[in-house]
Amino acid sequence: MPRKRLSEFRAKSILYKALDEPYSGWEFNSEEDWQANLDALPDNQNYVVKVDQAEKGRFKKGLVKLNRNKSEATSDLDELFNAGYQFALVEPYETHEDSEERYFSLERTRDGIKVSYSPSGGINVEENSDSITHEVFTGEPLSGIDVDTKSLSSLVDAFQSNYFSFLEINPLVIKDEKLYLLDAAVEVDNEAEFFEENWKASDLRRPKSKAESPEELSVQELASKSQASFSLEVINPNGRIFVLLSGGGASVVVADEVYNLGSGKELGNYGEYSGNPNLEETEIYTEQVVKLLLKSSANSKVLIIGGGVANFTDVRITFKGVVNAIKKHEEELRNQGVKVYVRRGGPHEKEGLEAIKSYLEKANIAGYIAGPELLLSDIVSLALKGEGN
Amino acid sequence: MPELNIEELRDLEPFIVCLGSHPSTIQALLDFDYLLGRDKPSVKVIIATGRKHERYFFGKKEIVIPVLDSVKKLSEEEKQSINLFINLVSARRILSSSKELISIAPNLSGGVIFGERLPEKHALELYETIKQNNLWILGGASVGLVIPGKLKLGAIGGVDSRQFEASNLFAEGQVAVISSSGGMVNEIIRQVADTKYGVSFALAVGGERFPITSPKEAMLSAEADPNTKAIAYFGELGGTDEADVADLLRSGKVTKPIVAYIAGTVAELFDTPPQFGHAKAMAGSQAETARAKRELLKEAGAKVGDSFADFINYLRRLDLMSIDNISKDADDLQNRSKGLIASSLSYDENGDVKILGKDILDLAENSSFAAIVISMLLGKQEISKETENFTDFVLRLLVDHGPYVSGAMNTIVTARAGRDLVSALSAGLLTIGPRFGGAINEAAVIWLKGVKNELKPSELVEDYASRGEYISGIGHRKYRVDMPDPRVTKVLSLIDGLKERKFTNFAKSVEAETLQKKGNLILNIDGAIAAGLLDVLHECEGYDYDALAELTTQEFFNALFVLSRSVGLMAHFFDQKRLDEGLFRLSDDQVTKL
Repeated sequence: MPRKRLSEFRAKSILYKALDEPYSGWEFNSEEDWQANLDALPDNQNYVVKVDQAEKGRFKKGLVKLNRNKSEATSDLDELFNAGYQFALVEPYETHEDSEERYFSLERTRDGIKVSYSPSGGINVEENSDSITHEVFTGEPLSGIDVDTKSLSSLVDAFQSNYFSFLEINPLVIKDEKLYLLDAAVEVDNEAEFFEENWKASDLRRPKSKAESPEELSVQELASKSQASFSLEVINPNGRIFVLLSGGGASVVVADEVYNLGSGKELGNYGEYSGNPNLEETEIYTEQVVKLLLKSSANSKVLIIGGGVANFTDVRITFKGVVNAIKKHEEELRNQGVKVYVRRGGPHEKEGLEAIKSYLEKANIAGYIAGPELLLSDIVSLALKGEGN
Repeated sequence: MPELNIEELRDLEPFIVCLGSHPSTIQALLDFDYLLGRDKPSVKVIIATGRKHERYFFGKKEIVIPVLDSVKKLSEEEKQSINLFINLVSARRILSSSKELISIAPNLSGGVIFGERLPEKHALELYETIKQNNLWILGGASVGLVIPGKLKLGAIGGVDSRQFEASNLFAEGQVAVISSSGGMVNEIIRQVADTKYGVSFALAVGGERFPITSPKEAMLSAEADPNTKAIAYFGELGGTDEADVADLLRSGKVTKPIVAYIAGTVAELFDTPPQFGHAKAMAGSQAETARAKRELLKEAGAKVGDSFADFINYLRRLDLMSIDNISKDADDLQNRSKGLIASSLSYDENGDVKILGKDILDLAENSSFAAIVISMLLGKQEISKETENFTDFVLRLLVDHGPYVSGAMNTIVTARAGRDLVSALSAGLLTIGPRFGGAINEAAVIWLKGVKNELKPSELVEDYASRGEYISGIGHRKYRVDMPDPRVTKVLSLIDGLKERKFTNFAKSVEAETLQKKGNLILNIDGAIAAGLLDVLHECEGYDYDALAELTTQEFFNALFVLSRSVGLMAHFFDQKRLDEGLFRLSDDQVTKL
């Protein structure tokens, strides 16, 4: 499914092996005894120390340190790990001229593997984007590329057999027909782990993230154990608008509408559930959204329960789970004056909508309940204006 | 013409195979068929493991749809007839199962892949496959295709029959709905129903990075479809499919009006946007953002909403005719309840009991007990005279073997403990198994294995000898080659009239081998009954090797023993009661102390 970043260490290990060249590089993890691992490296050379997470523009952010001796490397790693990074890569430092830097990338497209190349690579390649040529690889030699056809074929084969989606080497340096992959970024198809054996889920990297809330972690746990899909992301912990959305497409439509109406900054979370979750799963998911909402310090908070007209997700059953979760926090929701806005359709929509409506009335929680007669996105403007009773 | 030819699909008599099962979706297809007035369900067969059929409703009546564990088990006629498929298996098996089906179904038009998280490389491999075979495949992560009034292939349009009515899916309309999102295709179908323009067809290409049949190809299908007068398109950030759609508009390959919404401008709120609901929904470059794609489509001439409400307004303002709603009796299909059990054997019809379709009184008056027994045990209405006679003789023959054997002993002990008839009978029956009475089924397993695999009798005998195991059906305590068991001679004579007698011949040739070792290793009564029964079932009832193997796994070959010996066990119970024997207890010297 989604494209995920492979660690540079794992990517280079795979690529150098494909090129039949040795690779010297060492992976460091802040959660291991990294000092001991560093001490074991040879003393008689200098190193490159860099963050190995899916961080864009590392060089410009100072996350790549060049030409470091071992004691400097120690303080570099200390600094990076203290800044909240978990993974780093250390490699022997090799000198080269800026003019030797080339840009090379491979991308999976509908027409085949697209090769992009520029003789003027390096950190400012985007300024030279006109110099980049694009061509689909067919096995034939490509003109205007200094990478020899044999190496190119080897890289494309490794790309295919390891289920890469995108590969970027920038800069690429070629000396005496030998390829030096100074900086490599690879995105893999994370659903493909089952079909290949050179990388594992533990080799996938994410950018340094804000600490995740217990609610987000609960939803990740829920998603990993369910046939249905769940996602939850905190956007603004003190937002005013919290959303409980169903459907990959409809959830984006509703979030778009919040943004279109100028209230993007007030959006507390994004997330969605889909694929006909059962009652208990929906209850667990709903409770996480409700907890985030209750923690927010904003005034006039609203909960938007939105979704399109479902094909097969049972509205009666999922809404039972929603009601159960709200029931658990009924008093706090009432005390904080939270208003609930619902727009949903699908199998057993009548029963589901009636159930939530009669519950909210009984619990004396203000709300507005609509089915498919209300336009999907219109629930947002009603919620922002605080309309309904 | 595009591979996905909607007009051709309108005239197609659907013959759908489901790879994997998703009961609510399959039921929805059957409900759609029924409400359209089809007399048979469009879903003909399910490929899945674990069971032989699944129960569904066709209208209010319960039916079964056969389940096979592999497409290889489809008959030649079925392979030729399949024209559509729904793939409901999980991501790991999507590529292999789809390709396998495509390779055996020459008249396939196309299908839908419902599972999500199909690896990109696999999606592109299937894209190559459909190009080579002139097929179409919606997905991965597609809810399918619906052509109102004609065809439903997937959960699209709903699984609750009331949804079909609300979306006017029984009337042929004018707007094609094409969407990356499965939820939103249904939302837009409902919106189109509200406009009264009606849907000409609707499909979800799926929210993955590389939809196998792409939005571009779906657009060409809409352009080619004579019923379609306008196109409603829902896309999302991520991927570059909309660039191809814009090209179609600019080059005049699509001339019908397009109204569109591209979701995902909310991503502009973030430095690093989250992964939205669908796999493709992450913009890798500026060109993949929702805003860039909206602008591209606008420039090419589509009406693209800046908000969802704008999009719906464009849809409402299309210059099209209104069509009428067609309603069916969808409410009738609510609140059906499935039977607690399924039975193909017997039922009660207005107080008359029918067994395999025949009136019980008719059976009682005109059929022998043996004929009723064997036809009920096999679940087969008509059986041959040979089978009836063989059964009859075996039922008489196995009725008792004296008070010495395990079953009778248990019944006698229980009777003497003062228990009732059924307890004593049950106690006796419970001894029947691998060592007592179960040898007939065991022997059937061996004879079947030998014939099916064309084993040499000497090899089979050596195989058992080397493992130190007895061959069930061979050997007797008293009878020997020079003093044959008269019961065996009689049983074998019953099938003299059969042509092949493969199983009996094999059993006899095994006996010829074992007799070289010892004179009492003769074909015994268990082995002879097993061989004879296999031969009559194979030659007179048409059971092939697989069907016979199935019977052995159900211990069918012990059934006649169980029935017949029940008579003996009950007789021992009454005998003990008549003799008024007291409580049975072993004396001390009858128990060896270890």
